[in-house]
Amino acid sequence: MIDIKLIEECRGGNFSNFRKLVGLTSPYAYSLAFRMLGDEDQAKDVVQETMITIWQKLNKIKSAEVYMTWIYRIVVNKCYDQMRKKKRHPEYVADEHTWTLISNSISELPSADLEKEDNARIIRLMTDRLSPKQKAVFVLSEIEEMSGDEISEITGMSKSLIKANLHHARKNISDMIEKYL
Amino acid sequence: MTMTSESEKYDKIINLLRKSKPVLDSTEDIEREVINRLSRAKHSGLTLADVIDFLFGWVDIVWIRWSLITASIVLVLFFVYQQSIILKQIDFLSNHTTIIEEEPLSRSAYEIEKKVMMYKLSGRKIPAQSITISEKQMEQLLESVNELQVQYRDLLNLIKEDPELKKYIEEKLNENNRVKIKL
Repeated sequence: MIDIKLIEECRGGNFSNFRKLVGLTSPYAYSLAFRMLGDEDQAKDVVQETMITIWQKLNKIKSAEVYMTWIYRIVVNKCYDQMRKKKRHPEYVADEHTWTLISNSISELPSADLEKEDNARIIRLMTDRLSPKQKAVFVLSEIEEMSGDEISEITGMSKSLIKANLHHARKNISDMIEKYL
Repeated sequence: MTMTSESEKYDKIINLLRKSKPVLDSTEDIEREVINRLSRAKHSGLTLADVIDFLFGWVDIVWIRWSLITASIVLVLFFVYQQSIILKQIDFLSNHTTIIEEEPLSRSAYEIEKKVMMYKLSGRKIPAQSITISEKQMEQLLESVNELQVQYRDLLNLIKEDPELKKYIEEKLNENNRVKIKL
């Protein structure tokens, strides 16, 4: 949990305190951005943009409790921007190498942690055909294991919309598993 | 492939992704880059992006933010267009108004009388808009006309009261008329 005192000190324009805040916050922002985008460089760009937005809007933070939700909301919006910039694939192309990697990884008991590049490839493969909203809901709910209330606060979506997006995302991924795995 | 095995595979993949949490190699790089960018922004001047961010940064949803920006630009353009029309109308109207100038009082009444006299002697009518008079000059003129009327009434009363004076004046007026006819 981020200390509200640190946030208050940063409001005074102190860069060294803000550096501390960046150090504490960026791992969370990076994790979410990486999982949403499946790309390390883009995730780092999103983290930087997020930190700059935080600096500009620090006065909005009234309590430490809402700080993390606010950070995640900024990250999700920055990821939406990145997704819009990215050229969409006209048609899904089955990546046999990645499916083999998935197959090997889940057959191990217990499965070993994925390397960063493999992790990114699997995320890209799984979420390639999802819309930005479906991606956000899938990552927040299934991978980050957040509750419906938290996702609603972060994305601004209603609970029913979250359920619908999650259902579509699961179905889409299940169809791919059935077809290729 | 059964439904159970599909959902098992799905769960295994999700667990794998959950377990493999992406870790930021070096937060220091991010810290340094962010601080550098903020320092640069602090020393550089105000950009359009800063202004937009200041005005619309409170809107987190991107499409609403851009809608607001578009609506604001349309309103500003409409305002400028409306203002230009109003200014044109004011300019047009100002060209059609009669300007009443303030003139120094010292030359007012005398100047006007002189001009009126010149026109009377030459037997011409005073052309419209040929004399420009101020409000004060007009007030003075009306006052002098009123004074003349009062003096004229007093003179008439005096003549009525004195029959000898009346007779004398009538004789003088008759003489004057005769002179005019001869001329």
